[in-house]
Amino acid sequence: MNNNTLIKIMVPAIGLSVALVVAAVGYFVLQSWWSSPPAVLGFGDGPTQPIAFPHTTHVTDAGIDCQFCHRQVSTDEAATVPAVAQCLFCHDFGRIDGKKSESDNAAVELAKLYDEGGNPQSVNWVRVHRLPDHVQFVHAPHIQNGVSCTTCHGDVASMEVVKQVRNLKMRDCVDCHRDNNAPTDCATCHY
Amino acid sequence: MATQTKPQSATDRSEAFKWSMVIDLDRCTGCEACVVACQSENNVPINEESAFIEGRAIQWIRVERYWEGEWPDIKARFIPVLCQHCENAPCEPVCPVYATYHNTEGLNVQVYNRCVGTRYCGNNCPYHARSFNYWEPVWPEDLRNQLNPDVTVRSRGVMEKCSMCVQRIRRSTRSKTPNDVPDGSFDPACVQACPTSAMTFGNLNNPDSKVSKLQDDERKYHVFEHLGTAPTVMYLKQVDTHGA
Repeated sequence: MNNNTLIKIMVPAIGLSVALVVAAVGYFVLQSWWSSPPAVLGFGDGPTQPIAFPHTTHVTDAGIDCQFCHRQVSTDEAATVPAVAQCLFCHDFGRIDGKKSESDNAAVELAKLYDEGGNPQSVNWVRVHRLPDHVQFVHAPHIQNGVSCTTCHGDVASMEVVKQVRNLKMRDCVDCHRDNNAPTDCATCHY
Repeated sequence: MATQTKPQSATDRSEAFKWSMVIDLDRCTGCEACVVACQSENNVPINEESAFIEGRAIQWIRVERYWEGEWPDIKARFIPVLCQHCENAPCEPVCPVYATYHNTEGLNVQVYNRCVGTRYCGNNCPYHARSFNYWEPVWPEDLRNQLNPDVTVRSRGVMEKCSMCVQRIRRSTRSKTPNDVPDGSFDPACVQACPTSAMTFGNLNNPDSKVSKLQDDERKYHVFEHLGTAPTVMYLKQVDTHGA
C-alpha cells in the first residue's frame, strides 16, 4: 500500500468521523436547548438524593396519596417537602435501630436521619424540578383546576429515583395553558 | 388531560377586573412609608446616595417634594409618583421586544425575561416611573432572607417599574370571579402601608368599589393629563382651607 492510497482512504475517513462527532455534539446541544438533554450518559437520570427515598415503596406499595406528604400543593405556591417529623409519623423511634424495620435497606436509610446525638436532622434534598427565577409557578391553581400531579411530574409512583420527565420549558407550559383555556397573559407567570 | 372545572379565559378576566389607584394628596404627609413598603415587597435594590446623584437610583414609587410660596408663607407639597399604568402608555410602543405591554386587567406589565435593556421605555416615560438596573443588585448578608420569594429579583440590564404588586393581585384573584374578590380584600404594599389612607386601590369595573366612587370626586385629576396618556392612577387635588 503506497502513501497515495493511504491518503485516499484516511482523509475521507477522518473527515467523516469529525463530521459525525460534530453532528452528535450539535444534536446534543440543540436538543438540550430546545427541549431537555437526551437520556444518555446519565443525563436523563434523577439526581442522587442524600437519602434513598423510594416513591415506589411509599406510593405504589403503601398506597399513600401525594398530598399526604406534599401538603401545601393544593393551597400554596410550593408543594413543599415534608419535615422529618412527618416521616417519623410512620417511621417511629422503635424502628430506627434496624430491628423493627421492614427491610435492612430502610433501616440504613432511616438511620441517616439522625445526628450523633440521636436527634432527627432535616434532609438536604437535591432539587429535581427547577424553573428559572423569572417564572413564578404556583401549584395551587393547577391542582384546584383538576390537573393531575402526573401531568407534569410523570409516574412518580413507579420511580425508584425521582427524575424530571417533561422539559418544563415555556412552550410546554403555554401549550397546555392554551389547550385548557387557562390564562396566557405574560403576567400570569412572569412578575 | 382532564379538567374538572373550566378555567377562566383571558376574555373573562378582562371584563372582570380593571385595577386602579386613587391618591388623595390632601391626606399625604410625605412620610415615605409607601416607598419603604414598596422596596421591601418588590425586592427593589438598596440605593446608595451616589445612585441618586447619578440619576440611576431604582425606585418604583417616590415622594416628590416641592415648595410653594415664599417664606414665611411657604407650603410643602408632596406627591407620590409611581407607574401611572397609562391606558395609552408611551413606554409600550417603543419597546422593540414587546417586553412591556398592557394586559387585560388594565396593568402595564414589564416582562423581565423579555427585556433586552434598550431603555427606550424609560426615556419615553413622562413620569420617570421606570428604573434601569445599571448594576447587579446586591443586598447585605442579613437582608438576603427578607427578599420576597413571590417577586423576581431583577438582574443587571433589565428595566423595572411598579407592577401594582401584581404578585398580590395574582394571589388574591387566581381562579376567582370578581364576586369572590370583595373590594379592599387586598392592597398593594404602598396602599397597605399608608398611615393616612391617602392611597386607595381597587377594581374600576366594580361600581361599588371605593376607587369607582372616587371617580366622581371634583378634586380628581391625572398627572400630565394634557399628554393624553390616560393614566389609571388618579390623584385628588390638595385643597387649602386657609387660602392659597
